[in-house]
Amino acid sequence: MKQVFAATIVCGVLSCVGCGPTRVVAPGADAEAADRVRATLVSASTSSGTEQEAAATGTGWGTLKGRFTFAGTPSQPKALVVDKDTEVCSMGGMKLLDRSLLVDPSNKGLANVVVFARKTSRVKTAAAETPLVFDQKNCEFLLPVFAARVGQPVDVHNSDPIGHNTNIAGSSFNQLVPAGQGTAYKPDAETGMPTMVTCNIHPWMKAYAVFRKDGYVAVSAADGSFTISDLPAGETIEFQVWHERSGGPNGAVGLEKPELKWTPKGRFQVTLEPDAVKDLGTLEIPAASIGS
Amino acid sequence: MNRFSHVAFLLAAGCLLSAGCGRTPPASYRLNMVEATKQRLTTEQERQVATVLLAMFGTPDEPVALPETGLDEAKLRLASGPVRSDIVGRKNGLYREHCAHCHGVTGDGMGPTAAFLKPYPRDYRPGVFKFKSTERADKPTHADLLRILRNGIAGTSMPSFALLSEPQIDALVEYVKYLSIRGETELSLMRAYFELDDDANGILPETREFLVDETLTPIAEKWKSAAAAQIVVPDMPADIDLAESIAKGKELFYGDKANCVKCHGVTGLGDGQANDYDDWSKAIVEINKEIEGGLAKAGKTSTSGMSAEDAAEHRKQVAWLGRFSQVVDGDALVPRTIPPRNLRLGVYRGGRRPLDLYYRIHAGINGAPMPAAKGTVPPEDIWHIVNYIRSLPYEFDGELGADRPMVARDRF
Amino acid sequence: MRRLGGIFWSLIFLAVPILGVATFAVAPSYNIWLPKDVSEHGSSIDGLFYFILALTGVVFIATEGLLFWFLWKYDAAKAKGPATYIHGSHTLEVVWTIIPAATLLFLAIYQMNTWADVKMRRPAMAPTVEVVARQFEWRLRYPGRDGMLGTRDDLFLTNDLHLPVDEDVLVQLKSMDVLHSFFLPNLRIKQDAVPGMKIPVWFKAKETGQFDIVCAELCGWGHYKMKGRVTIESRADFDRWLEETYARQEATQPAPEDTAAAAAD
Repeated sequence: MKQVFAATIVCGVLSCVGCGPTRVVAPGADAEAADRVRATLVSASTSSGTEQEAAATGTGWGTLKGRFTFAGTPSQPKALVVDKDTEVCSMGGMKLLDRSLLVDPSNKGLANVVVFARKTSRVKTAAAETPLVFDQKNCEFLLPVFAARVGQPVDVHNSDPIGHNTNIAGSSFNQLVPAGQGTAYKPDAETGMPTMVTCNIHPWMKAYAVFRKDGYVAVSAADGSFTISDLPAGETIEFQVWHERSGGPNGAVGLEKPELKWTPKGRFQVTLEPDAVKDLGTLEIPAASIGS
Repeated sequence: MNRFSHVAFLLAAGCLLSAGCGRTPPASYRLNMVEATKQRLTTEQERQVATVLLAMFGTPDEPVALPETGLDEAKLRLASGPVRSDIVGRKNGLYREHCAHCHGVTGDGMGPTAAFLKPYPRDYRPGVFKFKSTERADKPTHADLLRILRNGIAGTSMPSFALLSEPQIDALVEYVKYLSIRGETELSLMRAYFELDDDANGILPETREFLVDETLTPIAEKWKSAAAAQIVVPDMPADIDLAESIAKGKELFYGDKANCVKCHGVTGLGDGQANDYDDWSKAIVEINKEIEGGLAKAGKTSTSGMSAEDAAEHRKQVAWLGRFSQVVDGDALVPRTIPPRNLRLGVYRGGRRPLDLYYRIHAGINGAPMPAAKGTVPPEDIWHIVNYIRSLPYEFDGELGADRPMVARDRF
Repeated sequence: MRRLGGIFWSLIFLAVPILGVATFAVAPSYNIWLPKDVSEHGSSIDGLFYFILALTGVVFIATEGLLFWFLWKYDAAKAKGPATYIHGSHTLEVVWTIIPAATLLFLAIYQMNTWADVKMRRPAMAPTVEVVARQFEWRLRYPGRDGMLGTRDDLFLTNDLHLPVDEDVLVQLKSMDVLHSFFLPNLRIKQDAVPGMKIPVWFKAKETGQFDIVCAELCGWGHYKMKGRVTIESRADFDRWLEETYARQEATQPAPEDTAAAAAD
């Protein structure tokens, strides 16, 4: 009896060997469908572009504006952990706060919401030659979210008495910026949604950057308002909305606005009249959309 | 021995003897579940990605390389599949013999031994490689990868494969490129679902234009153009006064332009900071933050005051967070901070030639926090820093006693 | 039936010495024998090996033969009479204790010189190379032009050991992590690398060529493939190789095969 018991224990232990965290089941490929796809790919001819760009239907340029507000009370922003170069970064006992949810207390305006056009048929002006200044001081990026156009020179500047390095994720740009100097950067590709900008010497420093080819992008100001001008009129333009703390996919902000065809992927559509300003009014973002 | 013991013994012997019998299923690639869950793909969409990848890249036993990738299928055949001899007697299955146990069959850096290694083996799928001779944003050249295989990476578990023959090392490098291109294509496809217009019904177009011209070709082009992006290194002046150069290098090392001591420490021991991550770990850290934050918030929210739709949304979000948590548990390695290199040891992962150190300083290390000094520190100054760094393991020759830990020249 | 059984088992036991001798006789023609010896002291080690092989071989055949004989002759089916019980023979026991003891003592003394040559009589010279065993490779460090290990001009390599022929060579053996064993089959050298110890290993190679370095102490999952290569070459070739490899280590420009021109494949 004792032997049977001992044998059962041993067998039980042995059979648990090799157990570990179970991996979720990944769906297998459909082999027949794969063969069909491969046949398409191997055929030498490129499929004649059947989906042409929707012919530009309009002339003239319009402007889009609106104001984002936050329906709810934002919690006290957390203080960032500053443990390097404290004589500069915590000078005079200054505390650096998390800036991911900046709400104007007087008018509930939500800052740093990014709105950009996903695809436009025409662009009014070429990329600006004047460099956009992206500065950092007191161990903080001065712009928590900044937008630039592909090909527009950006002066990544450092107004601190200590050195920083600016690391733009997804672009492989990670450059030393000595004290008091700047380094030139020209975005060469569009980001999809905004990408993170950090400093590796001071890991608490964080900002977001969004680069678009056509430049139709705006970042909401402290009172939540934004304006995108010189948009092509007469065509339906789909816009993407993003906020750092949004709980939607990839930070998309989905609102209940069927009149603008607002989708859960954070997109809405408008058609502009030439020389007209379309004001979307107050766009209220419910507290539930913003992650904690 | 009574009858019962006899039977039990025979049964046990029978079980033991038949353990291991049966056919092993052929190896298959594992989908990048972390990215799939991050992009909130449905099972149908995941299946589509797996199917398209099967069509474009084949299986671990039978790889396919479309001409646009620029890869040599003959070399891939040498490296792929189980270890066996081919019809002319050459050994095939090199990747599975030498690499898969750490780097994984999918090249995801999560082979069976990976969790026990420090640092983790490279995950090829994002297409980011650290030790190369090209500018930061560019891919390594073929020669760079050959060099890594031949020399190994000192200070890590990556061994030297110099004893393999040239064609074998070449085949392995080709296969690594294949896995990397496949991994980047997979990421690109998964991210493309978000960019779809809403009338596409969540299905990617399976046309040659989309899959090859728009997705695969840009990735393959970066690999093909790597050689052109090689850093041009000016000569170190032949009549350089080494002592003077080292002194200048020390000034720069401690100075404000290069800021080396901020991370590598005033001692050069790499103790300047300890809380940054490399790109692979950082991705998981960010995901963990999102999951934790989301679950904490969901725990505080009650569905009682919500409309039916909102409550359903909320439940969906919570379910997604739970699944994401499960995926990160099983399909990602525990994130680890990346300490700045201890420069007193004389162990240089990317190679110990002065040239290798020049590359590291000029372009930084892609995928790691090490920034690029290009444009900030002029080339002659970079050479001075290189000379200083090479002198660091020997800087206190005879000055410190035997019990001081700063000098550890015997480890390499 | 029982007699057949007895014959069967006796013959099985007879097969042991027959097959044992046969395999040893046939092995060299299948190239399953001692690896080629290119070292100076190797012949004395091999000589010891053969001597012990002959000695034990004779004893082996004798005892196995006796075993067969007793099985055959005193098989219960044939030898019908009752067994004789003896109390043991004191003389026999003394004889078969003294003779092996004397043999072993002889062997111990006979091999002392060879052991001292390989393990005790260290040549007074600076190390030619430092070999650090690491999971799962052999990391090498040559003293540079200044002849001293641990200085700025050291040459660092992995797995590719070069040594001069016809010269005394001193290897300083260390381990970076766990127990390994530095085994050069063709040079009859085997020395455990013990973490924390610096162990000198010396030998002289008599022929040029490329031979294996293998690990002879289980050190982890990669122990089976912890292989290196030792190249024995003339002093001139060795010096030239050192210069070339050192120049490559000090390179400040990419090697010609690493540049864009060569990458046009």
